[in-house]
Amino acid sequence: MSRKAAATRRRAWAATRYHVIGLVTSLLFIAPIAWSMLVSFKSTTEAARPPLPPWPVEGFTTQSYENLAQYGVGIWTYAGNSLSVAAATVVVTVFISLLAGYGFSRFQFPLKNALFVLIISTVMIPFQSILTPLFLILTRLGLQNTLPGIVLIYVTLHLPFSIFMMRNAFDAVPKEIEDAARVDGASVFLMLRRVMLPLVLPGVATVAIFAFLASWNEFLAALILLTDQRKYTLPVMMAAVRSGQFGTIDWGAVQSGVMLMMAPCLGLFLLLQRYYIRGLTAGAVK
Amino acid sequence: MIQGTPPQPHTPRRRGSRLRRKQLVGLLFVAPAVLLVLVFFLAPLCMAFWMSLHNWPLLGRPRFIGLANYEALMVDQRFWGAMRFTAYYTVIVTIAIFAVAFPLALFVERARPLTKLYRTAIFLPVVVGFGSASLLWSWLMNVDVGLFSPLAYRLGLTEKPVNLLATFDTTFWSIVVMVVWKTAGFNMIILLTGLQGISSEVQEAARMDGASGRQRFFRITLPLMRRTIALALILSVAGSVLAFDQFYIIADGGPQNSTVTAVYWIFSQSFVSFRLGYGAAMSMVLLAILVTISVVQLRLLRTPEGA
Amino acid sequence: MKGLKAAVLALAATCASVGGAMAQQKLTMWSRSSSEAFMPALVKAFNASHKTQIDLQIVPNTEMVQKYAISAAGGSAPDLLSLDLVYTPAFAASGQLEDLTDLVKGFPFYESLSKAHLGAGTYDGRIYGTPMSADASVMLWNKRLFKQAGLDPEKGPTNWAEIEEYAGKVNAIGGDIRGFYFSGACGGCNAFTFMPLVWASGGEILVDGGKRATLNTPQMRDAAALYRGLVAKGYVPESARTDPGANFFGGFATDRIGMSPIGAFAIGNLVKNYPKVEFGVAFLPGKTGGKASFAGGDNFVVTAGRKNLPAVREFLTFVYSLEGQTMLAKLGSLPTRSDIAAEAVKSLDERYLVATEAMKIGRTPSSPVYNDIINSSTGPWKQMLNEIFFGNDVEGSLIKAEKTMQSIIDTSGK
Repeated sequence: MSRKAAATRRRAWAATRYHVIGLVTSLLFIAPIAWSMLVSFKSTTEAARPPLPPWPVEGFTTQSYENLAQYGVGIWTYAGNSLSVAAATVVVTVFISLLAGYGFSRFQFPLKNALFVLIISTVMIPFQSILTPLFLILTRLGLQNTLPGIVLIYVTLHLPFSIFMMRNAFDAVPKEIEDAARVDGASVFLMLRRVMLPLVLPGVATVAIFAFLASWNEFLAALILLTDQRKYTLPVMMAAVRSGQFGTIDWGAVQSGVMLMMAPCLGLFLLLQRYYIRGLTAGAVK
Repeated sequence: MIQGTPPQPHTPRRRGSRLRRKQLVGLLFVAPAVLLVLVFFLAPLCMAFWMSLHNWPLLGRPRFIGLANYEALMVDQRFWGAMRFTAYYTVIVTIAIFAVAFPLALFVERARPLTKLYRTAIFLPVVVGFGSASLLWSWLMNVDVGLFSPLAYRLGLTEKPVNLLATFDTTFWSIVVMVVWKTAGFNMIILLTGLQGISSEVQEAARMDGASGRQRFFRITLPLMRRTIALALILSVAGSVLAFDQFYIIADGGPQNSTVTAVYWIFSQSFVSFRLGYGAAMSMVLLAILVTISVVQLRLLRTPEGA
Repeated sequence: MKGLKAAVLALAATCASVGGAMAQQKLTMWSRSSSEAFMPALVKAFNASHKTQIDLQIVPNTEMVQKYAISAAGGSAPDLLSLDLVYTPAFAASGQLEDLTDLVKGFPFYESLSKAHLGAGTYDGRIYGTPMSADASVMLWNKRLFKQAGLDPEKGPTNWAEIEEYAGKVNAIGGDIRGFYFSGACGGCNAFTFMPLVWASGGEILVDGGKRATLNTPQMRDAAALYRGLVAKGYVPESARTDPGANFFGGFATDRIGMSPIGAFAIGNLVKNYPKVEFGVAFLPGKTGGKASFAGGDNFVVTAGRKNLPAVREFLTFVYSLEGQTMLAKLGSLPTRSDIAAEAVKSLDERYLVATEAMKIGRTPSSPVYNDIINSSTGPWKQMLNEIFFGNDVEGSLIKAEKTMQSIIDTSGK
């Protein structure tokens, strides 16, 4: 009886310890984000003082967001740029990697392995080291300082991971399904769209979420390749906000900008967590 | 080299036009991807090398100067200073991330109530971009309006608010903390995958044989995790060597240019001083170092499990 | 696939809508963020009264040179540019700028255009840059705090001993009041505000037509000692040490700073946005008196080969008219035409008079590698300043920076 009670107590103690550690750790990791979010709802004058306590003492206000909205040509232009760049990157990446993944998984053709290795090995080479020639090539193509130009670069950056993902996804689909469809006389493209696509959708989701996050957050290439202020993406614009206007920094505006940049990432992750983690672990297991 | 190479002689012959058509379709499927990689990766890579042999101003005519850029680079104190700093940062931050991520992975390994929540919370900073994270921390680290130094001051830990960006050590360690915060979740998940890959039967068998938790960890878990640990370290190293955003946004390379990383210096030489040829030469050196690291690491990964 | 292509094309079309394709009628122009107070208003006034239209864009200070050079190399540079005058030689040397010699010399008031601007705008005997906006460095002091500290609120410092004394007295008020503010991690700001202290004491930074750097001089060591003293005695807020210039003006605007060396742009800005701050304007003094100023501001330059000189003349004529000059002055720039300067600032705050005087004695260092040696955030000047203000080895830092600067100057010639 007493031994049983002792065991129960030990288990309760272990559980408590586990959850205390878990909660504290979780709070530590969330705190900076939460803190910043609270400060973004302070008034401009209050945001210029240390955030102790973090919540707005003088009442919630969206003043910082309103100030932010007026930066440059208006923050929505930049948010729109970021969104269209990210969306276009997602669409093009998914499209190209879907085709290539299918091609590498289901077809035999000359140089197949060489091409696959070529694409995958680009992951070893940091794009930072080829930014200058990239800039010159974009110039030659008339794509320098354009959003499509930067989209093409982002797509290329994501190809190794995406094609790897998609080839594996197609590899996992049993050949029999295709054979059955082929007997029905479906063309290659029709088969890809009608039969295969639904089966590899989880892979597509993984590719899409990675492409979105990376292109939404990318800073260096955008900083260099976009010179027209109307085409800045959010990270580039926010760096400018952070560097001050009229020789002063509006910290409230910085916080609200950070929120604006983080919100889609956090939302998307919380919604599609499964696919994101899958992408990570797929890379880790192979 | 790759583009337009005719089918090699040893590919299957005389299998009818359907097969050849199928080959063509396969090529067509991968063509867009290959084209992009050629235009936006291989071509710039070759071009970068070509540029590194020139005095290539942003405006005006490039002039061929052979290996002069590389010679200048050999004695460029500031370049090697940036390389040294990058190496130092990479080593420290990789160890720091691992030291935090591994215990976390062990902690969240076994599913209990709320474990999922903890995992998600720890992982959240990963999906935030380095740009936003840097902006956020540049505020947290600010001496007047930030969190850390005013808090420490009010708690009586310091005599006056300390400007964290004023000395190398405080700047450096603050940024290390930020990077750990931002990437520990990522490494935790990678390591978690490895942990979960160890079959529970092996652990159970060891427990039956009377192995203590400690013994099981060092004799079974750790050896079986070798590949995963190597992978986690590799990813950290690769990311850290290329660090730029946090040092550019938070520290502006300061104080006194002591936190200028390799990529930062290349950026500065190429796009502030407009010495594109010189920047390209430095990129080539950085590239050579990175490829070497990758190759060594791939070797490490290839060694059979547990060997 | 078709849908996608259409989408990409549509995206491309929306993005490519900005451009200088419409020749004379619509010109694009960039200006840096420190001119945000007056350039948009000036351009708006011009557009309202002219057929030629200018589409103005504001670019962050720190990114201006980089963005312009990159867009120029990429063929997407704006037609017109209000360019920090110190960069005019660099861009002129690279053949990027249109020769404006005949146009500028054709103005009847050519002789009274700011000499500092034209000096920096002249390369190889030809004029590539002509004054757009002007800013001279001056010393601002807070009258309310001076009064509170028992000082004469109407008298600014006239030598370094007074700077230290006044800063100390204001600092003694206590609380979060500090005596002095400067951006300690900003090369450009301190070229503007610290260099004149050296000049006013007889020192030089660049000699032999910009070919030789002279940093390790007695005057520089003295000036460093002044700032070190202010820092050591706690007269300067801790945050100044790492301010990359983002808070260059913000420090003084808080109304908690006794004195700050700053530009004339601050006058208009304070009057307009911080009416509560009572301040006076003085010259930047030398060690034992004297005065000096950095004549800064922007040169107006034209991207080469755009064939738009008639429109350019139209715009410049407007800028140099009494209306244009008055407008600039009212919104925060100094007049750039000395013959009507007094008239342009007549209706304004009398504090502008000190600034216009400062502009007249103002100097501008000229070098094609100005960005590399002075303004660059990874450059030797910025690093040296931070070391000599806050570090331990003043002389060592000066010697090291001088060597680095000289090697940059020497390599650039090759």
